[in-house]
Parts: sequence; C-alpha cells; structure tokens
Amino acid sequence: MVGIVLISHSSGLAEGTAELVGQIAGSTRVVPAGGTDDGRLGTSTDRIAAAIAVADTGDGVLLIPDLGSSVLSALALLADLDPLATGKQVLIADAPFVEGAVAAGVAAGSGLDLVAVARAAEEARDVRKL
Amino acid sequence: MSANSESTYVPAEVVRVVVLEKHLHARPAGQLAQAAARHQPNTIELIAGDRRVNARSVLAVMGLGAVRGSEVRVIVAGADAVAVADEVVEILQSPETDT
Repeated sequence: MVGIVLISHSSGLAEGTAELVGQIAGSTRVVPAGGTDDGRLGTSTDRIAAAIAVADTGDGVLLIPDLGSSVLSALALLADLDPLATGKQVLIADAPFVEGAVAAGVAAGSGLDLVAVARAAEEARDVRKL
Repeated sequence: MSANSESTYVPAEVVRVVVLEKHLHARPAGQLAQAAARHQPNTIELIAGDRRVNARSVLAVMGLGAVRGSEVRVIVAGADAVAVADEVVEILQSPETDT
C-alpha cells in the first residue's frame, strides 16, 4: 500500500488531519510529520525523513505539504533522495492539505499505485465543496 | 434482436434511487470511492439535485451536498452493474455515526 506523509508546520494540524483520513479511508498508512523536534511551529527534515521511513512499505510514499517551508523541506528531501540507490519512490502532491490528504488516503486504501494516489490528491484542487 | 439467444443478458446500466435517511457523510463517501476503485472498470455515478459525480472521487461525492431526505440516483455501468449497484445502495442506506 502507498504510504502518505502529512507535512505541516503544526504537529496538531498534521496529526488531526491524519486522524481524519483514518476515519474516512479506513486502514491506510498515513504518518504525520508536523512541527519542530522541540515542539514548536515549523518543519523538520529529520521528522519528515523519519515519517517517510515509517510510511514506506515498498509501494512508494506520497508527501503532502501544507504550505511555505513545508513545501521547501519536502523538495529538499526529495532532491537528496537517490531513488536508484535506495529503491524509494517518493512524490510530492501539489494539493490542498486536508482535501488532498483525504482523497489520497481513500485512493491508497483502495490499493491504487503511487501515481494514481498522487493524481487523486491533486484532483482535490478542482473539486468544489459547495 | 440478437441472433444469439443463448448469450447472457448484461444490462448496460443499472439505475437505483435511494432517499437518504442520513446525510451523506465523509465516511460513506470514502466507502463509495473505495467501492468505485475496487469495481473498476464498472463506473458508478451519483446524481443529487443538479449535480452528477463519479463516485471514484471522495471529494466530489461529499460535494453533492446530499443531506438527509435527499433523493440520490445511482447509475452503475459495467459487467457487474447489478451487484455493484446493490453494494452502493447498501452503503447509502447503512446507519453510521456522525463522521
């Protein structure tokens, strides 16, 4: 199953969103990576890297950042990954945080592959809620 | 009329109508999207009011805004349309909590 890492400045936001995805999507591997190592608002590449390791079951990992430095940290990590050497497949979703996480979680729980899960997250940009 | 009267009749499309006893919450929307993924290449569409959505998108299903008392039309196309439509109706009718 594709794993999902939710990257936020706020640990509360990442954890709450992961909880919501779990409610809607059932058994999925959604790992929050929010806040700094000492519990402040911010992003930590160490926490994101650790979350990727937990989320990865061999079918790839989708990173969903909220905004700002979450996106930059995700990009920096991705640039450092060597997919050929590590065998890790990681993508970043350009998607709204909560809606993208829910759509990706449902897609991952359905057994779709990494590209399809990323597409599901990105389709969230165009779906109206009203 | 087909010349081959032995062939099994496969309906092109199955239509069901459900009147919701509960709002179409996030969790059943997720179940519908997962059913749509599981039953590909059958397609599941839902109509409520003037909206028609493909059930494979959990967000689009939630965007139907189908509240308690709404009439939801279920349209399933594909080889397993009857069984899939049964499953969709069951999800729409299942009692569930407030998620």
